[in-house]
Amino acid sequence: MNPQEGTTLSRIGQIAINAHDVDRATAFYRDVLGLQHLFRAGQLSFFDCGGVRLMLDKAEKPEFDHPSSILYFQVGDIRAAHKRLKDAGAKFEDEPHVIAQMPKYDLWMTFFRDSEGNLLALMSEAPRPA
Amino acid sequence: MSATATNPGMTSLGISGIGQISIIVHDTPRATAFYRDVLGLPVLFTAGNLAFFDCGGVRLMLGPASAPELDHPSSILYFRVPDIEAAHLRLVEMGVRIEAPPRLIAPMQTYDLWMVGFRDSEDNIMQLMSEVPRA
Repeated sequence: MNPQEGTTLSRIGQIAINAHDVDRATAFYRDVLGLQHLFRAGQLSFFDCGGVRLMLDKAEKPEFDHPSSILYFQVGDIRAAHKRLKDAGAKFEDEPHVIAQMPKYDLWMTFFRDSEGNLLALMSEAPRPA
Repeated sequence: MSATATNPGMTSLGISGIGQISIIVHDTPRATAFYRDVLGLPVLFTAGNLAFFDCGGVRLMLGPASAPELDHPSSILYFRVPDIEAAHLRLVEMGVRIEAPPRLIAPMQTYDLWMVGFRDSEDNIMQLMSEVPRA
């Protein structure tokens, strides 16, 4: 398919994340994950994550009141990040483990919960010696 | 959590960005066709009933829920487009369900933020977004 000019989906600009308590969630994303807080607008709280904006929000309608999609945050050292997050009080579902062996690297992941019960993950690509 | 969270050392996890987003689908071939042919995203690879797409450096993973707890709609993803009217028209032509016509959602300092909501083949709500510079 050849998308017409102007209609190409270039990239993801924003992701909505449901929070039941926006203040509590803001503290988690800022102080525990260490993401940069952009601004607050009423019940909305915006963060930057490597150029993608995260919008923490209370569900406007019952239809939207469900957990977030799993977001996989890229980190350099997954063991160190796992330890820091755990020390900061994040609840982990497992230990860092190899989830897929790709041609040039091992893909590591570990899953945890944010303050709102959303399932999130850390991921890291560890190069394999040639 | 707050006692350790105030220590700046605790917050430097080294997160560089979002590497992947999982989108729960009920029919992987149908969803693959939608994300490839309607949204025009490049397929990276498929593995069993998982299909991986690239969207500007972020990987989208389409697949069925691996546990009942995960069987819920996706987060709203806001896809950037240069021309929201043209992109909206194209979605309409392709038979995509639109929630409401494109609208100005927030006048920012140097641009107007436009959005239009639509449903993917799995009934997930998604949005197109476009920043239109103000003269």
